[in-house]
Amino acid sequence: MMAARHLIIGAGTAGLNCIRTIREEDGGASEITLVTAERPYSRMVLPYYLDRSIAESHVFTATAATLATWKVKTHIGRKAASLNPQANALTLDDGTTLEYDDCLIATGSRAVKAPVPGADSPGVHSFWTLDQARAVIAGIAPGSHVVMVGAGFIAFTILNSILSLGARLTIVEIAPRILPRMVDDKGAALVEAWLKKHGVKILTGVALTKIDDARGKKRLRFKKVGDLRADLVIMATGIKPNLEWLQGSGIRMNHGILVDDHLRSSVPNVYAAGDVAEGKDGVTGAPVVHAIEPTAMEHGRVIGANMAGRDVAYRGSLNMNIVEVLKLDVASFGAWDASGAEAFTGLHPERSAYRKLCWSGDRLTGAIIIGQAGDVWTTNDVGMLKGLVQTGVRLGAWKEHLRRNPFDVKPAFIASRTTARLLPETTLGRPSRAPELPTTVAK
Amino acid sequence: MKVLKIVPEKCTGCLRCELACSYVQTGAFQPAKSVIRVSPYEGHTSYAPYTCTQCAEGWCMTACPVGAITITAAGAKDVVDDRCVGCKLCTIACPYGTIFYDHDTRKAFKCDLCGGAPACADACPTAAIVYAEAETADWLADFAVERSARLLAIGGR
Repeated sequence: MMAARHLIIGAGTAGLNCIRTIREEDGGASEITLVTAERPYSRMVLPYYLDRSIAESHVFTATAATLATWKVKTHIGRKAASLNPQANALTLDDGTTLEYDDCLIATGSRAVKAPVPGADSPGVHSFWTLDQARAVIAGIAPGSHVVMVGAGFIAFTILNSILSLGARLTIVEIAPRILPRMVDDKGAALVEAWLKKHGVKILTGVALTKIDDARGKKRLRFKKVGDLRADLVIMATGIKPNLEWLQGSGIRMNHGILVDDHLRSSVPNVYAAGDVAEGKDGVTGAPVVHAIEPTAMEHGRVIGANMAGRDVAYRGSLNMNIVEVLKLDVASFGAWDASGAEAFTGLHPERSAYRKLCWSGDRLTGAIIIGQAGDVWTTNDVGMLKGLVQTGVRLGAWKEHLRRNPFDVKPAFIASRTTARLLPETTLGRPSRAPELPTTVAK
Repeated sequence: MKVLKIVPEKCTGCLRCELACSYVQTGAFQPAKSVIRVSPYEGHTSYAPYTCTQCAEGWCMTACPVGAITITAAGAKDVVDDRCVGCKLCTIACPYGTIFYDHDTRKAFKCDLCGGAPACADACPTAAIVYAEAETADWLADFAVERSARLLAIGGR
């Protein structure tokens, strides 16, 4: 029998986890071809490159040597141009055609800027790719005034870095509040108060209309409030999945590529993962795009196992985010924003501590947790809330206990036997293996 | 594999495990940096320590975007400090709440079984923590159910 030919499109978290898992399963028996526009690196760690706590070399997740060890043929610097599922063939932007037995679409997403005049002028940046990170790094100096347009998760991942470089920061947000897709109104108010207390200027409910240049600075104009001048503007105004190249391929798409419980698209030998995949939400069961790192990782691993010939169903992904801003931890899990769901909240404004627990019967379906990062019990609770939402364990009488004290998660977690539920759980039906480090930076 | 077996009925709440753990892990006696944590039950009438199970999935390890968590010779999932950037993704991926973040080092940290000679087990005077060949289990649930009956009864169970 001829060795299977796997084609991986995209070398982000999903693509690389897929490749690593194929090799864990088959030891090198199959052919793997990787098409990627950029050298493989981790976007998750770019904020730490921005604040110079790591060297640029640290961002790379697989070197040429690693890929060679994994016996991967690479087309680096090339983009997928069109897919022909009937012919099992991908055409690249240079006209090369690659045939496959199965294929993973993991082309990720890209940053989109607010559609205002001047958004594409020099000095107005996105912070998403390594090249964009390099440009921001080159543009920030101590004392610079940085204006961040957008107050979502991506913006918040680089707040600490910008401030630690000695820049002054102003955040402007068109919505009436910050972090609209990560925490509720109460949580947002708490985080906003914390940031203001620590010297970050925040303007919410302001609509940017134009960016132009004025005496060497960027000038931002708004509908109702006065102009702002900045040395550098970062637009963190959303991301969009890279799907346009699939028009006409016949692959079924909604917000993302629709995938089944094995992460197969409407064409069974074409899988999709990460930001471009619309798959099952593990809590609600509904199809959804979770453009988050853990989902891309799990998608990639499950697909890798299936490509290698195993039959591994995916339980569904859990929406989750954590960001630390100026030593305040902000995290949310699952269906924390389900309207109509029963919810308990607890707030200690003097400690900047907030909890929200969302329920379906006596199962936890979502949670928000905000607390000072120095509080040693916060981390315990972050994980345990994740465990409770992930397992959907029935909390019985503990629900009433948590209504009275939403901060007392630990006894509820332990006494409801969550640990016993979790211990046998694995994503691939076997113990995970340790990752191989990129060879140039291996210890 | 040898694991940390917890016998909660034997725990007196003396916290020597936390002191020993933090000393071996960080060089200072600072229970805030212990990766084994003793919790009270039933209004401080009983106690039990809680730490990483070194689970088969290794949620922290698979979640790490830079491969900074590996498996040691003792079978423990351990953070490779040179690789960890401090993004905290592992802390939300771990469903047990047993991987932590250290503000001084800006790294994640967790139980590494002290390289195969866990200080907590050595320090425990009552053998409530035993390092032994065993299948990892839910050591605390029965105990916690029994020792929280009154706490729940207050709510009119």
